[in-house]
Amino acid sequence: MDYKYIEQLLERYWNAETSPQEEAMLRLFFAQSELPAHLAPFKALFDYQATQSAVSLGSDFDQRICQQIGEADTEPASGPATVAARPITWSERLRPLFNAAAIVAIIATVGAAAQYSFGGGNEATWDYNTANYVETYDNPQAALDETMEAFKIIGDGLKTATAADDTMSLNAIIKTPIE
Amino acid sequence: MKIENFRYDLLPLKDKLFRLALRITLHRQEAEDIVQDTLLKVWSKRHELAHVESLEAYCLTVCRNLALDRIALKDNQAERLEAHENGVCHTPDVAPTADERMEHDERMKWVARLFSQLPEKQRSVMQLRDIEGLTVAQTAAVMHISEADVKTTLCRARQTIREQFKKIENYGL
Repeated sequence: MDYKYIEQLLERYWNAETSPQEEAMLRLFFAQSELPAHLAPFKALFDYQATQSAVSLGSDFDQRICQQIGEADTEPASGPATVAARPITWSERLRPLFNAAAIVAIIATVGAAAQYSFGGGNEATWDYNTANYVETYDNPQAALDETMEAFKIIGDGLKTATAADDTMSLNAIIKTPIE
Repeated sequence: MKIENFRYDLLPLKDKLFRLALRITLHRQEAEDIVQDTLLKVWSKRHELAHVESLEAYCLTVCRNLALDRIALKDNQAERLEAHENGVCHTPDVAPTADERMEHDERMKWVARLFSQLPEKQRSVMQLRDIEGLTVAQTAAVMHISEADVKTTLCRARQTIREQFKKIENYGL
């Protein structure tokens, strides 16, 4: 690879004839890690220049100087003034109460869950084995009458429901001109 | 040039000012004090700066003057120079280190020392031209010297550095 251009630039650099743009180019060239042996020694110089442009003050400097400005001046530049009293909304005011309520709710939930899991909870289990079913009536005739009565009530209900839900009559209603 | 807001107009210049002050004083804490003084001074004078064309150049000038005042106050500058160089090897390591990375770091420290050993004027010109990337005209405006003077000073500084590099090449780092 031909490094004539860089060599020329470098020579002009030593003689202070380069522009800031050309010097930036030199810094860019020397920033790469693979350099020809005769140019490699100067890497440190340009790397040093590049790193030095990043030297900066500590982060607490801003705060300190702004405090000083704030003391010497009352310009808005010193940042928003802090006010001791500030309005509190109702939700903010009631927040401790909500917190307490939430704690109570959590304790109650956890307590109930613990009680359920430790104290049995077998009341609501279903028995699907029909052999275990026990009769709950004494008189079979009375039981049959009761059942028939129940069917009759359901049948009546179905009849009226059909009448109200009849699509034919519904159509008739829709087609009837409103007068 | 009007300065409306400290935070937006002046504060962004702090790092540039700090680097120049550090280059001149070679002392971090002092450089920080100088930046603070510079910003406060310019801020307090902000209503009288209508004639100033470039705020940056003006601040750099104030900063440099404050730094020079400080240097003049201290008669024994050599002592502080050494204090700054603490932890930096004084004589470059003759034996080549196996680790290339470390060798590069050593070389960077050596370059830092080269810079620090230049006279203040050359150091400031190098700082403004080579590190901050100002033009010759801008550098001349900051330092209140002619452009020809900037070029001469810059040339001397770079030639000195080049001589040192040649020495290294001949005798090894």
